[in-house]
Amino acid sequence: MTDIDKHMGADGSLEGRVFRPSSVEEIAEAVELALDYRGDVTLGLLSGEFIVGYLFSRQAKGETPSCEFFPQDKSVPRTIPYSEIASIAFTGEDTASGKSWEAWASKKESERRAEAERVEADARARGYL
Amino acid sequence: MAVPISQMYTVASYVLAQKLRGVKHYPLVLMLEPLFRCNLACAGCGKIQYPDHILDKRLTPEQCWAAAEECGAPIVAIPGGEPLIHPEIGRIVDGLVAQKRYLYVCTNAILLERKLKEFTPSKYLTFSIHMDGLKNEHDLAVCRDGVYEIAVKAIREALKRGHRVTTNTTLFDDANPDRVRQFFDEMMDLGVEGMMISPGYSYQKAPDQQHFLKKAKTRALFSRILSRPKARWKFNQSPLFLDFLMGKKEYECTPWGNPTYNVFGWQKPCYLLQEGYAKTFRELMETTEWQDYGTSKNEKCAECMVHCGYEASAVSDTFGTVSGFARTAKLTLLPTSR
Repeated sequence: MTDIDKHMGADGSLEGRVFRPSSVEEIAEAVELALDYRGDVTLGLLSGEFIVGYLFSRQAKGETPSCEFFPQDKSVPRTIPYSEIASIAFTGEDTASGKSWEAWASKKESERRAEAERVEADARARGYL
Repeated sequence: MAVPISQMYTVASYVLAQKLRGVKHYPLVLMLEPLFRCNLACAGCGKIQYPDHILDKRLTPEQCWAAAEECGAPIVAIPGGEPLIHPEIGRIVDGLVAQKRYLYVCTNAILLERKLKEFTPSKYLTFSIHMDGLKNEHDLAVCRDGVYEIAVKAIREALKRGHRVTTNTTLFDDANPDRVRQFFDEMMDLGVEGMMISPGYSYQKAPDQQHFLKKAKTRALFSRILSRPKARWKFNQSPLFLDFLMGKKEYECTPWGNPTYNVFGWQKPCYLLQEGYAKTFRELMETTEWQDYGTSKNEKCAECMVHCGYEASAVSDTFGTVSGFARTAKLTLLPTSR
């Protein structure tokens, strides 16, 4: 798991990838990738539990390395020790992927306008406009 | 003068008190992000790319007030996300004004006119309106037509009601210095108290990766914009920070100067980088490995010249050196002497 590029999809995103680390170092590496990922991940725990949510912090050093995780359906975060992690799957949409300036610029004017209108409509539907 | 005397006095006495006490790491501006949700999706913004359940989270007013108390910074900036989306933004502001924090609500102003009734004018409260240039440039930057005109209308109404209003502008490498100077004229014509400017930072998660400024370009651009300044231009920021942008000063970053608190906690190490979170402000200050961050110390910091890292350095220079104080005084009293 040392070569991050080999984990990436063609668009540079980890979306859809699943990691089953086999050592403490590999867990730490997978957690770093999840920390950098702007989408939900699914943590498979050694207990057999699967939790879906957003991994936003970690304590990689110290006696008990752990990560901080906001489950999708909870208002408070959970602390998950690295030692309990069996797998990390990048299951949620990578919200930062495919939004490069080049992608934006290469779109036809009609596509850009449609995208801007979609964002506006979403904000309007939520009552934010 | 762009900043009221009482605000200058508060900041000066705070910074001098820290220096007299020998405190090396002290906050100047709390960056309080009560939510990440926005009603725009600007190409240069890296703050809003999250799953919906994260975008739907909000800090409570009580959490905001406690963070300000815990941090102790005399100034609080409320960016986001778009803070006016927060259903309790009025209460949040009232509580921070009651703490006598000088407060900058950073907004794209789309909702401002509608929400103004929730705010009472105060010397402690300023609306800092996101304006990235004249109409064409601004609407392009925010990826939506018509936003500039909405913001101008809201600025007029806020000023009419007696609010303090400033602008904040992020400049990219395609900025046209002449157009930016025209923009400064237009903002001063509107009657804003002052303007804040900063180069963009290459957010790892921002869609627009190509248009962020590199340091040399930054200095060249800001030199062209800020040389021969007009007497009527007022900037709501340290004159030495503007010197820094023009390449007339060299500073090291002060990443602890603008600590950031949001729905995840206290962000390490600064407003722009996300390398984990601390649960308390004390933990942030004591456990962040500050020596790993800054201009010459970290690849991610190498090209950064953003105000959240360097404005505090400039303020520290003002109150920490005779030459810094003298130049600040000169540029404050004679802004065209730059």
